[in-house]
Amino acid sequence: MPGKTKHDQSWSPPELYAQVESKVPGVVVYAPKPEPIEEDQSSSFKCPNCGATVTYNVAAGGIACEYCGYIAPVHSMQVGRTADEFEFTLETISQSDRGWGGERQILHCDSCGAALSIPAGALSTTCPFCASNQVNVTASLEDSLRPRFLVPFKVKPDQNKRLAAAWLGKGWFHPDELVSNAVLRHFIGVYLPFWTFDARVDASWRAQVGYERVERHYNAHEKRWETRTRIDWRWENGAVRLNIDDLLVTGTSPKHVSQRILKDLYPFQLKDLVTYEPDYLAGWRAQAYEIPLRDAWETGKQAIREQAKRACHNDIPTHHVRNFSMTADLADESWRYILLPVYLATYKFTDRVFQIMVNGQTGAVAGQKPVVWWKVWLVIAAMLSPGFILGLIGLPLLLLGGAGVVPIGIGIILFVIGVVMSIILYNKAQSWEAG
Amino acid sequence: MKNQTPPVEIVQDIKTLWGVDRQPMGCPYCKRVFLVKPQENKNTCPLCQKGTLGSQPARLRPQEPEKLLPFKIGQEQLRTIYSAFTSGVWIKPPDFTPQKLLSRSIPIFWPLWLVDSDINGHWQMEAGFDYQVESSKESFAQGQWQSRKQIETRVRWEPRLGEISYHVDNIAVPALEEHENRIRMTGGYHLDQAIAFDPSRIADAVLEVPDLPPEDAWPMAEPRVNQAAWKVSEQASGAQHSRNYAIKANYDQLNWTQFYLPLYATSYLDDDGQPQIVIVNGETGTIHGPQLASRKRGLKIAGILGVVAVGLLLLMVICALLTALNPILGGIAVLLGILGFGTGIAAIVPAAWPASWNRKQKPLRIAQRR
Repeated sequence: MPGKTKHDQSWSPPELYAQVESKVPGVVVYAPKPEPIEEDQSSSFKCPNCGATVTYNVAAGGIACEYCGYIAPVHSMQVGRTADEFEFTLETISQSDRGWGGERQILHCDSCGAALSIPAGALSTTCPFCASNQVNVTASLEDSLRPRFLVPFKVKPDQNKRLAAAWLGKGWFHPDELVSNAVLRHFIGVYLPFWTFDARVDASWRAQVGYERVERHYNAHEKRWETRTRIDWRWENGAVRLNIDDLLVTGTSPKHVSQRILKDLYPFQLKDLVTYEPDYLAGWRAQAYEIPLRDAWETGKQAIREQAKRACHNDIPTHHVRNFSMTADLADESWRYILLPVYLATYKFTDRVFQIMVNGQTGAVAGQKPVVWWKVWLVIAAMLSPGFILGLIGLPLLLLGGAGVVPIGIGIILFVIGVVMSIILYNKAQSWEAG
Repeated sequence: MKNQTPPVEIVQDIKTLWGVDRQPMGCPYCKRVFLVKPQENKNTCPLCQKGTLGSQPARLRPQEPEKLLPFKIGQEQLRTIYSAFTSGVWIKPPDFTPQKLLSRSIPIFWPLWLVDSDINGHWQMEAGFDYQVESSKESFAQGQWQSRKQIETRVRWEPRLGEISYHVDNIAVPALEEHENRIRMTGGYHLDQAIAFDPSRIADAVLEVPDLPPEDAWPMAEPRVNQAAWKVSEQASGAQHSRNYAIKANYDQLNWTQFYLPLYATSYLDDDGQPQIVIVNGETGTIHGPQLASRKRGLKIAGILGVVAVGLLLLMVICALLTALNPILGGIAVLLGILGFGTGIAAIVPAAWPASWNRKQKPLRIAQRR
């Protein structure tokens, strides 16, 4: 062995250590063996009893076979908010920019040996030949950029359908056929990628702060003493410290998932984070991040600095502020890459595409709903008509002798109220469709 | 420890050693042993100024020293150093002048051991590797946000262990019991500026003999050798930092040689006629020694001022008595009174200041060896 010393031939390094390069001849260096990075971490899921395809069952909380009743728990650990976080090292940021692996990937089915072509970013699929579920977490460019934690589904598929049906069925302005199975059948359970960010923010502000002062003065025109409020402006400064904990930023591109709908699903309870196990993804879809760390962090920073700005404004004792400026020093920034459970349905209605999502952990529902526009216009007409009719009645009366002033006045008031309510209803209807 | 170095010898009467004309002589007072020119027998000990040097046997190694650090401070620089040193004291003893210090300056080389060793063993430590992280500073002004990227360097600590089979050269180890004290007094030396031992460089200098033989110096040498091993292990690991280093090793092929450092020693007599030793680092010029004030001169000045004060007060009394003859004398009496009292109070300062100043003098002194 090169560099073996004379002093103690029996000495050998512990098992978990391996020899590494030494930069000085005569000195042998051992370092802890790195954790093996599996080149192909695909796993297939077949029942050990009957050979049927098994999936992760929400109710059972483990891998289950629907044919023979086989159930195996998932061996993961609940880590919650204490899940490992990573620093913004320059290497990680640049590797995250290069994305998750390459284009479409070839995955070999462990069950039947078929070569499956799966889209880039897909973490799971089902073999079309043997119907076995495959989970594919290919070695990323950096180990930390693989999903390490996830929140498992808590809402069962049938429960999801009930929640979605209740949400879709709510409201007279929407088509009745929405609640039909045709829409509900579109739901798929998918683990979506998210970034979480932590940081400590030391913000300092400077501004002219105005303090109200009531003073008495003599009004020469009115010839009497009056009081008036004056504002005294003073330059002031202050400092605020904020701790940002688990700020959630989506890793999915807005091209695929509506960011507005996704935000309506918040909050997710990150106390339920568990260590990643492929079992959780068996039979479920999962997507790798499309928004790289750097871009997600820019989004996160925008939210953080606005929070810091609000905190600085709250630090100012009055609401009279001008020439406000501030700095926010970010420190101890860290990030985490996680998967969160969402039921997602994308369906077509009268040639338009609508999306609906259900939080797979809390059951919160959000999405777009088509609107039956004739119902909206009918209601708008109903809201405008009282004012219009009163105006019509009042006009001839006014011409005949002045008694029409009262109905015309009431008519104008009702018409204005009708217009305001119509605008509100119209905007609301637009937002139902936009999501 | 396997010591391949020939043992020390007891040397009593030699005329030349390492190519220079030197004889071992010791100070019966401070017990230091020097190699001095035979004609300097009966001189006063340069480092305590209390004992008279006399011939005595010395434990010496016959091998020539390996290196020495030459004197870089010449006589002119020494004069400047002494001037600055003495000018810091207000009421000095008459003997405490730059001229006296310079005339009594004796160049001395004092010893260090240089140890060479093979290190064979195994080690472990925490190795620190630098890495960079991105941070940012956000600023808001005139309704707009600006973001400034900042790069921070942090250290990642990882365990490392290994084996070492390495030879280290010239590890400096104390050869005097009072080494640490002396370094505190003289400040450090730039050991990398050393040159090979050259007898011509020590022509007029006194050489101090080690009082720590290698076997006694080894407990001090071992941590220094391990320190060198630590540095090598850190380098081998490619780490930028390291901590918690531990080594278990054998030290073979130990070779001890001598290394001499330059020093000037001089002295002045205080009020009581006691010699006060001042030393100067022969390379850097760092000076150390007590800067004593003279209590006797202080009292003398105070006495003169006291007499002047009494004289002024007597004149004041006379003027006061003669005020009836001339009223102007009353004003003069007041003036003389003020001057007399002022001078009397001022006389306290030189009487009290030397004692107060002397209490603040450096407690670490070269002669406090016994």
